[in-house]
Amino acid sequence: MKRNLFVLLSLLVIASVLTACGGAPATATEAPPVVTEPPTEEPATEEPTEAATEAPATEAPSTYEGMSVAAENCDYGGKISSIEATDQFTVVFNLCKPDPAFLAKVAFTPFGIQPSEYIESTGGTGEILERPIGTGPYVLESWARGDSITYTRFDDYWGEPAIAETAVLRWGTEGAARLLELQSGTVDLITNVSPDDFETVSSDPNLQLITDPNPNVFYLGMTNTHPPFDNPMVRQAVAMGIDRQRIVDNFYPAGSEVAQYFTPCSIPNGCEGDPWYDFDPEAARALLAEAGFPDGFETSIYYRDVFRVYLPEPGLVAVELQTQLRDNLGIDAEVVVMESGEFIAESGAGNLAGFHLLGWGADYPHVTNFLDFHFGEANTQFGNSYPEIYEHLQEASQIGDVAEAAPLYANANNAVREQVPMVPIAHGVSADAALASLQGVHERPFGAYVFALLDPGDDTLVVMQNAEPISLYCADETDGESLTACQQVVETLYDYELDSGETVPELATSCEPNEDTTVWTCTLREGVKFHDGSDFDANDVVASWAAGIDAENPNHVGNTGTFFYYEYLWDSFINPAPQ
Amino acid sequence: MTTLNQQSEFVPTILDPEALDSRPITLWGLVRRRFFRRKSAMVGLGILGLLILTAIFAPAIAPYHPEQVLIGVEQVRKRQAPCIHLLGCPTDQPQHLMGLDGNVRDQFSRVVYGSRFSLIIGFTTVTFAILVGATLGGLAGFLGGWFDDIVMRIMDVLLAFPSLLLAIAIVAVLGPGLINALLAIGIVSIPAYARVVRASVLMVKEMDYVSASRALGAAPLSLLYNRILPNALTPLIVQGTLGIASAILDAAALSFLGLGAQPPTPEWGSMLGTERNQVFTAPHLVFYPGLAIMLTVLAFNLLGDGLRDALDPRLAHVS
Amino acid sequence: MLQYITRRILLAVPVLFGILLVTFILGRLIPGDPCTAALGEHATAEACERFAKEFGLDQPILVQLGIYMGNILRGDFGESIRYSRPVTLILIERLPMTIELSTLALILALLIGIPAGIIAAVRHNSATDVVTMVGANVGVSMPVFWLGLMMAYLFAIVLKDTPFWLPPSGRLTAGLTATPFYEHYGWQVEPGPGWFYLLEFLSNFYIFNSIVTFNFTVLKDAITHLILPALALCTIPMAIIARMTRSSVLEVLGMDYVRTARAKGLRERIVVIKHAFRNALLPVVTVIGLSLGGLLGGAVLTETVFSLAGVGRILFEAITARDYPVIQSFTIVIATGYVAINLLVDLAYAYLDPRIRLT
Repeated sequence: MKRNLFVLLSLLVIASVLTACGGAPATATEAPPVVTEPPTEEPATEEPTEAATEAPATEAPSTYEGMSVAAENCDYGGKISSIEATDQFTVVFNLCKPDPAFLAKVAFTPFGIQPSEYIESTGGTGEILERPIGTGPYVLESWARGDSITYTRFDDYWGEPAIAETAVLRWGTEGAARLLELQSGTVDLITNVSPDDFETVSSDPNLQLITDPNPNVFYLGMTNTHPPFDNPMVRQAVAMGIDRQRIVDNFYPAGSEVAQYFTPCSIPNGCEGDPWYDFDPEAARALLAEAGFPDGFETSIYYRDVFRVYLPEPGLVAVELQTQLRDNLGIDAEVVVMESGEFIAESGAGNLAGFHLLGWGADYPHVTNFLDFHFGEANTQFGNSYPEIYEHLQEASQIGDVAEAAPLYANANNAVREQVPMVPIAHGVSADAALASLQGVHERPFGAYVFALLDPGDDTLVVMQNAEPISLYCADETDGESLTACQQVVETLYDYELDSGETVPELATSCEPNEDTTVWTCTLREGVKFHDGSDFDANDVVASWAAGIDAENPNHVGNTGTFFYYEYLWDSFINPAPQ
Repeated sequence: MTTLNQQSEFVPTILDPEALDSRPITLWGLVRRRFFRRKSAMVGLGILGLLILTAIFAPAIAPYHPEQVLIGVEQVRKRQAPCIHLLGCPTDQPQHLMGLDGNVRDQFSRVVYGSRFSLIIGFTTVTFAILVGATLGGLAGFLGGWFDDIVMRIMDVLLAFPSLLLAIAIVAVLGPGLINALLAIGIVSIPAYARVVRASVLMVKEMDYVSASRALGAAPLSLLYNRILPNALTPLIVQGTLGIASAILDAAALSFLGLGAQPPTPEWGSMLGTERNQVFTAPHLVFYPGLAIMLTVLAFNLLGDGLRDALDPRLAHVS
Repeated sequence: MLQYITRRILLAVPVLFGILLVTFILGRLIPGDPCTAALGEHATAEACERFAKEFGLDQPILVQLGIYMGNILRGDFGESIRYSRPVTLILIERLPMTIELSTLALILALLIGIPAGIIAAVRHNSATDVVTMVGANVGVSMPVFWLGLMMAYLFAIVLKDTPFWLPPSGRLTAGLTATPFYEHYGWQVEPGPGWFYLLEFLSNFYIFNSIVTFNFTVLKDAITHLILPALALCTIPMAIIARMTRSSVLEVLGMDYVRTARAKGLRERIVVIKHAFRNALLPVVTVIGLSLGGLLGGAVLTETVFSLAGVGRILFEAITARDYPVIQSFTIVIATGYVAINLLVDLAYAYLDPRIRLT
């Protein structure tokens, strides 16, 4: 008994010591709150940034106090110079550099518009993470965590009202379980059907298969800082030594294609230049011998066992590649599966000594989303970046006109082909499935399903996706599951067409660029109401954008504070934190 | 309504005709006889025997190499259903008793070779856990004092975690892979054996014959090995047999979650995990590995049960 | 008795402390970090640097441990990194589901396992015995996820359009909501820690909640959704309970007092039920406590297969996403529950069996 007491006492002493030390600095991880007066709707104030540009006074009879957010100057590295509400229904975006992809980016869900008062009152976090207020055809009714999200139709919607009065979004991580639900009739639509179930769905008269044409690419990456991949001849040998058609035929669902370029051809300028090498194992072996490896070499294939449209069966493809490398080139590769987070961290930093399997799905319909992210100067994924490639890309990203930029992208693609940082293998096709009785189904390359257009035949639409949303404040989220959930409620200035990557006006009736696409003037739609009854106007646009793009805005809090797409698509936050 | 032949069990052993045999009655002989009388244990033993034979003679039984990809070698499709010539499949098609898997490999061969992995998994994890656990538990029980306290508290901590979650965490730290999964399962199983051995040691330590030995001047360590540990052996054997069963299941669960055996290893759990989404389109790929796991684990469970019943002296009156 | 309880609780403290330490260390040892887990292919170095700073992940590890310990001792479980919500709230939403599922599975296991064990013992070494025991062992030998998928297929697809149809996943049919009982009765409660948390916790037990609000549609729906997962989950404890009951009954049937009862000429059934049964059940009580650990582990797989939002599943997801506060706090809660249940079982055993003296 005495012994036990001694042990207990000593442990309690240790515990209290740790508490004393640990208790003091408490939760000092939150940034000190920035004190500003909350800007309100009518007596609107300006954003408290360094050099707030004064809203140009107009000769209009009623002066509208427009909000604005601006950067001190264009040296901060980002694309946006300022966003100003010049009058009640006009917003002007001043850019530091020309951006021909402006509309394509603006239509992306993270740039959705919510009421400025609501953003203020929630401080950009808390309630706004689970209850977005937008202008869309559905109102968020409730989120039963872990189970489902319920929407009800918004009767004051500015456009066509939703067909189904209630919509329910559910989720299930197992493809087999989702299909089971569909077959038993408890859901109307499921996303991400397993490739092997495609046949089951198409042969079932009660179901319909919906192919999802989202552009994506799967590639076999190599890191040029790890020998023998520093030798361009080795990389080129690998480029020729893989039978990519066989991989696509056996491990991808029908409709998938072999990738002849890194970027899918549905994206303008994606397929300029020469197509990829043909499969030529003899030439490949000869080249490898010339490079000094007549009997191949030993290496590893790294991958993560996560389903993605560009790689639906990672384990199977990894083993297939292992077999092919051995049979065609004599390369003895060990298959190494890594945990997803670790894999991303290591591959991104260029630490993997060997091959890695990765891919990319398009965020917005522009070639810069594919080429610039991967082969830009700053990316370390493939080792040392290739100036032969990124110099062309830097030049081309300045040019707005597709036809004018085409020869530059041809040069870039040819450089990719010559340097072989990776071997593009496939453009995967994904599919969703629905009950045959579901009307209004559309195959959308960009953007999520528009629930408002779907007609289940009764008054409740049930959709099942593959995971739960992380939060419903999409400015700060990147996963498709959150974006789908937000998109039904919150709208953006422009939207994507139902059947292509072209953009159509949504909350803005037009956004006109100036000659060199550095100034975009957006005229907003009038008479639009938010779900809480307030009116939509220019300040709501500025407030929504400011919370995302301005790192010193008091509402720049969100869920994790990453606001990934604001930083990535516009190159930097305004007033970024000093590094 | 029970029948009256229950009465026959309570005939004292002395009237047991077998006991009147001239052969001496030994403890192990009685145990053996009790064991072989238990029909369910016989079933278990039979299945296990079959399993061991399959594992040893796998190269002879399996028509293909388990990692051989058959694209281009035969005219077959991915995940093709089984083709058994005896059951009517046309003879011009190559025979695949359990069909083909997602990488176009013969599943029957993989299931056959998988028996090796399952047996290895079961035996290595349990051996590791027994070695570590028995040492710790035995020393704890024997030495007592602060050592006993600390070791048992550590065991409590390990036991308080749901075993699968702890194994998942350990594998997440070490990285996915069969060896790491075995280590994780082994670590998670240690407390059970430590406790068993400690309990036996504590019980035997106080017994008369041990006190007698000690009074006669026997060295402590020889006491431990000669008197105490053999008594711990029986519950350890039972626990170990059952432990093999749960180790195989845990390994299958880890592989199902993607954390255990990695491709192209033909381990049953990993085969189940890879194909679990094909349960409706290619049920043969989910059914056969699952059946194999079930039969193997069943065998060990029945065996363990039989051993426990046979070795438990309190059930001595039950034949 | 009181002394025993106090001593056991005090002894549990270092165990819990150890669990906290082990969880923290294990969690941080997992390579990768929440940022790359969240952003995937999109992760960039700068974004992750800011991320780490915001969540205090760039501070020295011992400082983080100290902060965490301090918070736990004050009852503050922290906020989930992934969802920016208090972990306590997530716990309140998820725990009732797992408890309902485990309880139902345990009840089923007892209902089937105990009679099976008794029958097997009474008719021991007959065909019935062998069949029952092999059957029980089959239950314990099947991978739970395999069984779950097979059963889902059977009841949801094969038996579709029959009265035996059962839904394959989820807690309630889409469109049905289980209105919390405090909302139903119009109680005004302010959201936030305190009463609200307690009421939320209680109302997430859908079965309890629907009974209290007399909403029998939801009650029936909730139960039908629980049947398949509970069946899949119960096979393991059922087999263990059946085996335990069988050997315990066998042992008791050999006892002197049973022989006396028989010698007195009592009918076999009375001998079994009145004299043997109660004593035989004692070891089964211990098994119940042990089964709960197995139930929680099996719950991860069952919750995955049946898309149920329970504790096991979210712990698994948190490990994948490196959501340290959730991993640490949930594990502590589960482990504490486990320790508490074991204590209760020991107490119950001592209470039921007068021969056991609590020392």
